[in-house]
Amino acid sequence: MSLQHRNVINLILLERFGKVIADVGDIIFQNPSSLYNIVKSADIRISKVKEALSVLIKYNLVTFKLNVDSSAAIYMLNLKNVLLMLRFPKFINLIKTKFDETYEVLVEEILLKGCVTASELIIKVAKRLQEQKTVNILLQELKDNFNSLVTAKYVTRLSTQVTKAEELYLLPNLDLKQILTVLNGENETLSDAGIYWTINSDRFHQDLRDQLIVNSVSNKFDDNMGELIRLLLQQMYVRTDPWVSSSNPIPILEVKDIVKKRNTHPQLATFFEQYVNILEQDATGIIRKVGEASGGSFQVEIKHIFTQLTWEAVEEIVNEKFDSKASRIFRLVKLRHYIEPEQIQNLVMIPAKEVKRILYMLLEENFLVVNELKRSATSLGPSKSFTLFHIRLSQVVRTMLELCYKTLYNIMTRRCHEKYLNKRLIDKKHRVDTITHGMRVQGISGDSVLDIEEMITPPENEILERIGKMMKKLSLTELEIDETLFLLEMYLKYE
Amino acid sequence: MQKEDAALGEDNVFNDDVIIELAKSKPNGISNIDIKNEIPDVLPEIWTKSINKLLKSGTLELFKDKGTLLYKYKDPSTKTEVKGSDNEEKVVYKIIEEAGNKGIWIRDIRFKSNLNMTQLNKVLKSLETKKYIKAVKSVAASKKKVYMLYNLEPDSSVTGGAWYQDQDFESEFVDVLNQQCYRFLEGKRDAAIKLGGGPLMCRNRSYVTATDVHKFISELGISKVQLSVDDIESILYTVVLDNKAERTVNPNGEYLYRAINPFLKSPGIVRTTCGICPIVERCGDAGLINPKSCKYLTEWLND
Ligand code: SF4
Repeated sequence: MSLQHRNVINLILLERFGKVIADVGDIIFQNPSSLYNIVKSADIRISKVKEALSVLIKYNLVTFKLNVDSSAAIYMLNLKNVLLMLRFPKFINLIKTKFDETYEVLVEEILLKGCVTASELIIKVAKRLQEQKTVNILLQELKDNFNSLVTAKYVTRLSTQVTKAEELYLLPNLDLKQILTVLNGENETLSDAGIYWTINSDRFHQDLRDQLIVNSVSNKFDDNMGELIRLLLQQMYVRTDPWVSSSNPIPILEVKDIVKKRNTHPQLATFFEQYVNILEQDATGIIRKVGEASGGSFQVEIKHIFTQLTWEAVEEIVNEKFDSKASRIFRLVKLRHYIEPEQIQNLVMIPAKEVKRILYMLLEENFLVVNELKRSATSLGPSKSFTLFHIRLSQVVRTMLELCYKTLYNIMTRRCHEKYLNKRLIDKKHRVDTITHGMRVQGISGDSVLDIEEMITPPENEILERIGKMMKKLSLTELEIDETLFLLEMYLKYE
Repeated sequence: MQKEDAALGEDNVFNDDVIIELAKSKPNGISNIDIKNEIPDVLPEIWTKSINKLLKSGTLELFKDKGTLLYKYKDPSTKTEVKGSDNEEKVVYKIIEEAGNKGIWIRDIRFKSNLNMTQLNKVLKSLETKKYIKAVKSVAASKKKVYMLYNLEPDSSVTGGAWYQDQDFESEFVDVLNQQCYRFLEGKRDAAIKLGGGPLMCRNRSYVTATDVHKFISELGISKVQLSVDDIESILYTVVLDNKAERTVNPNGEYLYRAINPFLKSPGIVRTTCGICPIVERCGDAGLINPKSCKYLTEWLND
């Protein structure tokens, strides 16, 4: 846990929850503490700290346990979940592409709330979508969709110490009549009060992981191969736990039948065996043949895939951060595992001086390590020891993680700063928008609305437009950095 | 390639003798033109190979006469004769001779000859002035000299081969070749895709050998020096190291190359300035280098 990590966490909390919560978060980031200690070191009123903690707990960002002598609860920050908030847009998008809008809104509301009871969730979403459908149909649809989100494990019961494993995906007992009455503004205790639901990030990660694999394979080979690996993954789930490092054997005929039936990829259907062959023979070792019976069965080597992808990402980072000569050297060291500097020069075909400079640079930035081997004393010859270069991937990955955190922090800082610099103008625009919106709702239009709108001068509009573009670019970049983070996390998960 | 090698080998044996005979017949030396006239039906690539071999073994000596190169036959019995030299010179000469055209550096001569440094220096000087030996700068380490017999052509490990011009590595030349080799592989792959057929056929059609690439590069005429297939093999390996090609071995033990695509588009982190920033270590909240006023970021934002 580094300074970079701490900075990013702090900034995320600050942006989403404000200063008090960020401060409290920072204290327990450094040291899991009791309420008393937090109050003491934060210099914030106890009621405020309590409030902050309860918000953090509700969003599953803080966990607690009893201290050793059971006298007080110790609060800890759940770092993973804080960072996860950056990934929420991707979660929402995933649901949107996989299902439809009602699902999307359901997931979005859960993410906004942190955790929520099923009835409350349905009420909330129904209010948002009311205008599109008749209420009765809508409520039934929402109930069904919520249930399928639970069945597919995208949503899970918020677990406490007393929750049993089998309860996690047990469908709630929902009374739609009750919900309707509450929706109409009356008070009633809902049938599922006290049972809270939250999203199951593991399930989302599983989808994102599969998506990444399919996209990567499509990039490297073609769309047909992408489809093949997609179906292999799909069939993998029939017999295999989602997070094991290599799948149980999958009978290939099963996949072939699906390809034939679906008929979306005629090329794949015609040359099915060839595609399987190519994938199996490929140096990347994505799948492995483990049985000959009935057309053969194959294992998907998921851990191996992520090692490969991570190597490639790291190589690409070396390529961009330094240059193509550096990535060439880096790849040679990877292929040879251990290599002497003299050997490098001939194989990479780069002048000796340049090779030395690059090696030094890579060493300096922790991409390489050196092993000194002492030659046995008896052997003659000028050098008494020799140097071997080597790469420790897990160390490089950690360096990369740090770089990601730092970059995220910088990008977010810049975004906040630009907002701050233009705060007055942005606020003004907000006010104007609110007023004109209000007028339109009241049915006022024409010149009076225009007058208000013109309070923002053309040059101001230009600036606003520029800022808008900038914010978009910065937010998009944050998502892209998170993609790299995701890949590195996957690597570490399988390590 | 094995088959070819064998064929070359036979020719070699045949030619060595032919050339020795030729040289013997003309005690004043034979020129390249002489050889061409005498054996017009043998390809120059083949006989230059055996000339080089004979020069290395010391059977032929190289002379320059009015701008033309002449090869002279040297009787093996007189080969090691060092006229007008004392014993020490003979010993050192012998050591250097054994080292062949790879040369030997002074430290190793000292080890083997048991002479002290002053003595050895004197002997080497004397041999050098008599033009029995010469010192050649090695590309392996700058400032390191190796000694070899005067009339030997230094080995490519000393001169660096095609990639060196006066001890300077020709980076740009290598870069151009690297690009051209990749271009060739890419062209092969695209052509294979266009031809259609199954994916297996497509893949197999996109494989090439270094010999194929060698032919392409020779025809391009971008190289002023004669490149060997091995030279191309080296270049192709750099394409592999650039993750743009893969290398496999066919049943004949020959390397096959094929253009490949990467798994990933460039990772998100390198699409930002901070991910590739050279001063990221010095960048912080306080201080002159900070994300709020960073001009790299500003430029990138205004892109
Ligand atoms: S903010 Fe600027 S100086 Fe700092 S790391 Fe990013 S690009 Fe480099």
